[in-house]
Amino acid sequence: MATTALPGRNYLEEDATTIGAWLKAWFLTVDHKRIAILYLLSINFFFLLGGLAASVIRVELITPQGDLLSADLYNRAFTLHGIIMVFFFLIPGIPAVLGNFLVPLMIGARDMAFPRLNLFSWYLYMAGGIFALTAAIFGGVDTGWTFYTPFSSTYANSNVILTITGAFIMGFSSITTGVNFIVTIHTMRAPGMTWFRLPLFIWASYATSLIIVLATPVIGITLLLVAIERLWGVGIFDPALGGDPLLFQHLFWFYSHPAVYIMILPGFGVISELIAAFSRKRIFGYEFIAFSSMAIALLGFLVWGHHMFVSGQSVYAGLVFSFLTMLVAIPSAIKVFNWTATLYKGSISYRTPMLYALGFIGLFVIGGLTGIFLGIVAINIHVTDTYFVVAHFHYVMVGGAIMAYLGGIHYWWPKMTGRMYNEVWGGISALIIFVGFNMTFFPQFIVGYLGMPRRYHVYPQEFQVLHVLSSAGATILAIGFIIPIIYLTISLWKGAIAGDNPWDATGLEWEVSSPPPTHNFTTTPVVTREAYDYPPDAAEVDAANWRPGSPL
Amino acid sequence: MAHHEHEHERGHIGPATYYKVFAALMVLMFLTVGAWWVEGMLNIPRALGVFIAVAIASTKTVLIVLFFMHIKVSSRVTQLYAVAALVALLFMFVITMGDYFARGWPPELGPLP
Repeated sequence: MATTALPGRNYLEEDATTIGAWLKAWFLTVDHKRIAILYLLSINFFFLLGGLAASVIRVELITPQGDLLSADLYNRAFTLHGIIMVFFFLIPGIPAVLGNFLVPLMIGARDMAFPRLNLFSWYLYMAGGIFALTAAIFGGVDTGWTFYTPFSSTYANSNVILTITGAFIMGFSSITTGVNFIVTIHTMRAPGMTWFRLPLFIWASYATSLIIVLATPVIGITLLLVAIERLWGVGIFDPALGGDPLLFQHLFWFYSHPAVYIMILPGFGVISELIAAFSRKRIFGYEFIAFSSMAIALLGFLVWGHHMFVSGQSVYAGLVFSFLTMLVAIPSAIKVFNWTATLYKGSISYRTPMLYALGFIGLFVIGGLTGIFLGIVAINIHVTDTYFVVAHFHYVMVGGAIMAYLGGIHYWWPKMTGRMYNEVWGGISALIIFVGFNMTFFPQFIVGYLGMPRRYHVYPQEFQVLHVLSSAGATILAIGFIIPIIYLTISLWKGAIAGDNPWDATGLEWEVSSPPPTHNFTTTPVVTREAYDYPPDAAEVDAANWRPGSPL
Repeated sequence: MAHHEHEHERGHIGPATYYKVFAALMVLMFLTVGAWWVEGMLNIPRALGVFIAVAIASTKTVLIVLFFMHIKVSSRVTQLYAVAALVALLFMFVITMGDYFARGWPPELGPLP
């Protein structure tokens, strides 16, 4: 067969001679890299499923009438989209795939602190996913991903219990991953790998883990309380039973707003790595970026009430939450300014991961700034529950988290597989995604501002142009997502051998072979250099060496 | 081994302490029930009754966290995490209660119980 045998014995190589042994080697593995691959496959499966639900929504919205779906079915479609994307793609996405693969490699450890717990987290994830999928197969759920009470706890005639059981179990998967990251980062750093030599992806993963460990138990208990009220009629959230629906919203958003930072903080970490590697410069303001992750983790716990400005919470609480929401902009802006400063006078190369990183910065700024709009009570009241909000959080979630996820996957793909992907197709698909994304979601800002409410399948005629534009954009976006699946899969067989460090990047993960050996490091590395230790004259040397035909 | 020595440095909680803490928890449980009886018999204001009940419950929590969860003999980082969890809980309670107190209840409900 191929003459391109991969060097050495790596984590993908196998002794197994029978299918049973092969299954055992993968499904009972405690190797963090294999677990990351298990997560990669399962999370991408859920992403495609969530994307399918999104497609159904966008097709329905091409016309102002309810042509394709009934109102009830439409409710179930957007709920399926939301639940799968939030709980089974965005929250575990970067930590479980890239984090699992990279955290031990980046800090110079042989594995996670608790390898079996790591595998257990994947099984919990799959168990939660199976519950959610079972609920979908048996008719779905119509509450929206927010499970607002008393509709979810008393009135909904759909599979609420099955779905929240799925989300509940998935929460424990998050917690186990978070605990593993925290203990690993604290206790397993290689000699010389001080806190301020850690790659910023590690800082971001650490901050994310803090949020996961402190916030996720709250949603677990809250969902349990919804189940108790629904199953046994114990009055907790339903006013008719003596409960308080606002209590549910307080508890739900106490987790679910920090959960936004669970989704985006690891993305910030990825972007810091990409910007430094493709500018060939030490990141500007390392400490500020590191501490801004911690500041976001802390402030993220104090702003949940901005989801409740019109729900009947007190004016006093609204003012406090509005003020606190403004504060989150500061650490977020620190990151963006530092990334931009890193680009200044850097040797910038427009490889696929960098295209995603640059796209991320632009889109996240729009998503973040519209978040400031929404943090202002007066504007929020005007656009509450409109497509303006939908556009805002998609700019953060898709424009931010997914761009970072894809950028990270492309950047570390050579390390994970030992093969290079097709750079031309990589660039093309990144551009298609950028164009498709903006075409899908920018019109939603306008249609939302004009008054189009979210979660409706029929709408006034005058909004049709913007909805058609959005649906056309979604088609382009879908094509953009499918292309990488094709060329990345092909690269597993046809891709050029990557070599240990195809990007000439710094970091311990680039010092091991590609794919890495099973135990990562044959000898424990001793770290003597700072993070992102690019030579000061890298830009000049690159410029002098560039010839027509070299990669941009 | 170095690892074992390290564990010993952090201290150890013996069975005797567990039994003492268990006994203290039982006493506190009876105290909770007793406080409820006393509140009923002496017509103590409700707010004071709630305060006493919360104080007893908090004491129980501290005992469990310190001894049964080994926080007393854990590393400083573990202790920091335990405190962080309490701080997060404090955020949740204080801000949520802030909303409840400032919400402005309809006058027809009368004074809060």
